[in-house]
Amino acid sequence: MCGVEVFDSVKQLGNGEYLQFLTDTAERESMTKGLAVVMFSGEAEKFIPLGVLTSTAVNLGMPVRIFVTGFALPYFTKNKPEPRFSKEFEDMVPALMEGMKRLNLPTWYDMLKEAKEAGDVKVYVCSMMAEAMGLKKEDLDPIVDDVVGATYFMSNIEGYEVIFI
Amino acid sequence: MGERIVVDAKGMACPGPITKLVKAYRKAKSGDIIEIYATDPGFKPDLEAWIKRTGNELVEISEEGGVIKAVIKVTAK
Repeated sequence: MCGVEVFDSVKQLGNGEYLQFLTDTAERESMTKGLAVVMFSGEAEKFIPLGVLTSTAVNLGMPVRIFVTGFALPYFTKNKPEPRFSKEFEDMVPALMEGMKRLNLPTWYDMLKEAKEAGDVKVYVCSMMAEAMGLKKEDLDPIVDDVVGATYFMSNIEGYEVIFI
Repeated sequence: MGERIVVDAKGMACPGPITKLVKAYRKAKSGDIIEIYATDPGFKPDLEAWIKRTGNELVEISEEGGVIKAVIKVTAK
């Protein structure tokens, strides 16, 4: 709806309705427009928040744009390395794995896949890192939408909340 | 009169119950009632945030024996 049409319909509102309209509009406009995730780390535990936050953003109706770069990139190829956890927190891994199994949690990959089916989620691979690692488009996992540069990514996330993982 | 849809999200951890609710919500029509059961300890504030964001109506929320029951009216479609 264009601005003039909105103005015309607002003029017909009563005082109370008009105040409610202003409050609703202000609330809507202060809401986050979308979620942008720069996925850099390769440690297995860092993929959990990627899955959870993507799925949550989609549940709230927000678009999600993921930029895969750094050590995360090999996990977005057809030839994924074994998951590896941070050495620093190695002693916590068994309890974490056991708890996740008990809760029957989906894997980060399944969460991402489901979020892509349900909402507006795009997975982009950093063109520079793909080049540096000698990866071609056909080497990438089908979950990846495209190989793009940082400029494309940044110009498509205006007003989004940005998270670096 | 809308339809009444029952969603069982007991035993699921965050964000599972909300994801399951959204799945049912996508198929629902305006005026439908979604009745959801969950045990995730964060479910109540999560649901309230979802209601606020989407503009649907939370008709009832209660807890009994660790199970949270919520009744939602689909009004934002």
